[in-house]
Amino acid sequence: MPKLNLTRREFLKVSGASLFLAGLPLPGFTKDKPPGTISVIMLEGGMDGLTAVPPFGDPNLSKMRRGLTPDNYLKLNSFFGLHPSFQTFSGLMAKNNASIVHATNFPYTARSHFEGQNLMQGGGLSPFSETSGWLGRSLELAKLPGRSLSLDMPLVLRGTDRNDNFYPASIRGSGNLKTQLIDMISMFHSNEGSSVFKKVSKKSTQKDSIVPRDPASLAKYAGKAMSQEGGPLSSVIKVTQFDTHSNQGADEFGRHGKLLKLVDEIIAGYREGLGDAWDNSIILTLTEFGRTVRINGTWGTEHGYGSAGLLAGGAITKSRVISKWPGLAENEQFEKRDLMSTIDYRSVCAACIENALGLDHDLIADKVFFTPDLPRVYDYIFS
Amino acid sequence: MNEQFRIAHKLGLMFLQDTPLPENVKAWAISQLHVKSPALGIKRWKSNAKGKEWPKSVQPDLLTRDNMFSLYKYNRKREEMGLDGFTSEAAKQDNRRKNLLGKLDQLKFAHRNVYGEDQLKLRFTAFWANHFTTGNIHDNQNHIGHAIDEAILANLNGNFSHMLYKMTTHSSMLTYLDNCWSCGENSQNAIWAKKDGFLAGLNDNLGRELLELHTVSPTAKYTESDIKNAANVLAGWGIWPGRISGEEHELLSTEQRHTKLRKMGGTINSWDFFKKDHAEPGTKRVLGKVIPAGKGGLKQLTDFLASHEHTINYISFKLAQHFVSDNPSKSDVNYIANAWKKSNGNLDQIHTAVIERAISSTEPKFQWPMTWLFQVVRLSGATYFMGWDEMDDDDYNQGIMHAREIFEELGQSLWHERQPDGYSSDKKEWLSGEMFERRIRFADAIYSGGYPANTPDEIMDRIGANETTRSLVNSFNGRKDQFIALMCSPELMGLENA
Repeated sequence: MPKLNLTRREFLKVSGASLFLAGLPLPGFTKDKPPGTISVIMLEGGMDGLTAVPPFGDPNLSKMRRGLTPDNYLKLNSFFGLHPSFQTFSGLMAKNNASIVHATNFPYTARSHFEGQNLMQGGGLSPFSETSGWLGRSLELAKLPGRSLSLDMPLVLRGTDRNDNFYPASIRGSGNLKTQLIDMISMFHSNEGSSVFKKVSKKSTQKDSIVPRDPASLAKYAGKAMSQEGGPLSSVIKVTQFDTHSNQGADEFGRHGKLLKLVDEIIAGYREGLGDAWDNSIILTLTEFGRTVRINGTWGTEHGYGSAGLLAGGAITKSRVISKWPGLAENEQFEKRDLMSTIDYRSVCAACIENALGLDHDLIADKVFFTPDLPRVYDYIFS
Repeated sequence: MNEQFRIAHKLGLMFLQDTPLPENVKAWAISQLHVKSPALGIKRWKSNAKGKEWPKSVQPDLLTRDNMFSLYKYNRKREEMGLDGFTSEAAKQDNRRKNLLGKLDQLKFAHRNVYGEDQLKLRFTAFWANHFTTGNIHDNQNHIGHAIDEAILANLNGNFSHMLYKMTTHSSMLTYLDNCWSCGENSQNAIWAKKDGFLAGLNDNLGRELLELHTVSPTAKYTESDIKNAANVLAGWGIWPGRISGEEHELLSTEQRHTKLRKMGGTINSWDFFKKDHAEPGTKRVLGKVIPAGKGGLKQLTDFLASHEHTINYISFKLAQHFVSDNPSKSDVNYIANAWKKSNGNLDQIHTAVIERAISSTEPKFQWPMTWLFQVVRLSGATYFMGWDEMDDDDYNQGIMHAREIFEELGQSLWHERQPDGYSSDKKEWLSGEMFERRIRFADAIYSGGYPANTPDEIMDRIGANETTRSLVNSFNGRKDQFIALMCSPELMGLENA
């Protein structure tokens, strides 16, 4: 038996990232190839949009956020800066392949991680109202049979029965998977158990190379898989630990800054893995809420409302910061504590689905987000 | 399965091979709530090894844990300072090996579950340890195992309000949810800090989760002000056991540190540590309840929350979903909630109600990955975990994974760095190809490396396996395939068709 690769494990512990892929066309699938691919980076815990994309043009920023804003931010325009952790992302912005949506969130204001995460993945009208996710429903609507990759199946991808997942295993003493054995087990299970074992069986015939588990490698692997003919059309990567109630830090060496660097590395991994398929790809971040405007008593921030969304990919041809800036003065804040959200992030998700899967906005608004009058923001992002 | 194993599957960890099966299952299950068992395990791996009591030397008490962690942090500090003898790989490894307990505690947890004679208590312990999730964040790994044993398992026969208080004030929780760094905005500490130009104030992380996850849940419609006031009641509680903040305290000796701790909290007991100068003065109001200032306020708050109607309904549902059925009926939940109300939160009465409902319900219950793994090992008589004496024998143990690695590969560990809502008991959260593949791989690994004492046929006879399971297993000739098929059958996974 080979010795365990400790470095890789340590990395996994630190990063806590997992990868999910979805939307693999089955052989014999005849529908026209959809226009592109869509990838989601879930930032679990509540990403601080004011640290990631500091609005230095707002006079209240420096007053209220001493100790949370990096001094060495990159200037995007006369109002917004970018956190120094975003080396790759800033390069993509310079090449017109990335954009930012600021002061945005899902319409949810109760500041619970678990309700918020359920909504950002489920896309429902109230917490825990949906058992499927907005991306899963979109793939199902686009009639894209699918497969997905990781340890659990995240809610955002549920809702299409043919999804599967992959996450590299490292279990000493277990041999190769035997298709016949798994098929038989599957046969004796009913309903859901059977269908899940069928996915295991199907996978047992595929030879996946050894994939390291660090987020950048997972992203590269996902990008590569999506770039291949008949490859998956969608992938999801999760990064945890954004919930920095204490010692949040400001620069790239702080707790939040290190996580933003991981996000940057994930985007770099996608860029490398996608190769030519980059041109038709869109990657977007999701987070359950932003964080309080003011620093708390332990050099951190509490759960808030509005945050920022990062978008990258060749599908973007003009870089922008898209925002209807609400202001940071106390009377401009949501409940005198949080950045207000002025853009419904579901609209941003809808635009990305429209771009990648070629579905009509009205259909997405109605059947994916159950909100027929959901504003269409496609032109702000993709024209 | 026969009635004994059906119940042991839903509520326990399966009968070990030499244990006689009880005639009256319900009476047995209820009596299980009072079994006293020490932590059992094995010293060294030997096929068919029997469980013996873990020696005290590998079960450090709380103060020793604090001191070990403190020494670990101080060595890390010396390492950062580049001091001789602290920066080499060997020194760093030595520091981790000697002073960190996560790896050892996870082995003990695994042993206890595999060899323990108190199987129902261990299942309830896992449920509550997950309800009061604390993961390895801010390096608090030395305290998670202690919280499981001493705040949960040791308090299973008491009142829920007591367990709630003991868990809320445990270092594991106060560190995991940041409370040990919080202070009231009008506390003495905040006033001093302001004068000196430092930042010090409230952190609402634990206050929020105490309401949302540990007690009333969002259905109680608490406000931000309730959360802030709960955080204000909690302000002052806890100490990061390894370190006292401030550069000047980085390299204190244990004795100097204890002197300092006595000055800060009047004690060196980190499980009862309240810093008066960090506390928020004045009364606080949480969900209408007025809580007085001072150390005693927290107990009043947790007692109030423990008996709140929303707490009772929310946790009764969680218990029903974990033990009775994946889709518990309203009457399942009400039955448990009524026992809760009638007994004013007596855990024996609550657990008895859970047992009664689990027995009367014929629904299968999908089992968590770790529960399933313990059940497979116990049923088969395999020896799958290494001995407590073998933790550092890296060469010898090439074929055996550490308990920590096993839990990580399973995708479920009570030590893992994870979100405070813990693992779901809803089977929907576990239906994924990767998760199911792990079951096949672990069944294979347990068969191949654990030398099961019992053949699949013997196991099926003992548990009274149903026809589906028998036909599935009998469709293979090889004993290994039969073993994997048996352990991944709907019956043993607790899925439909069981």
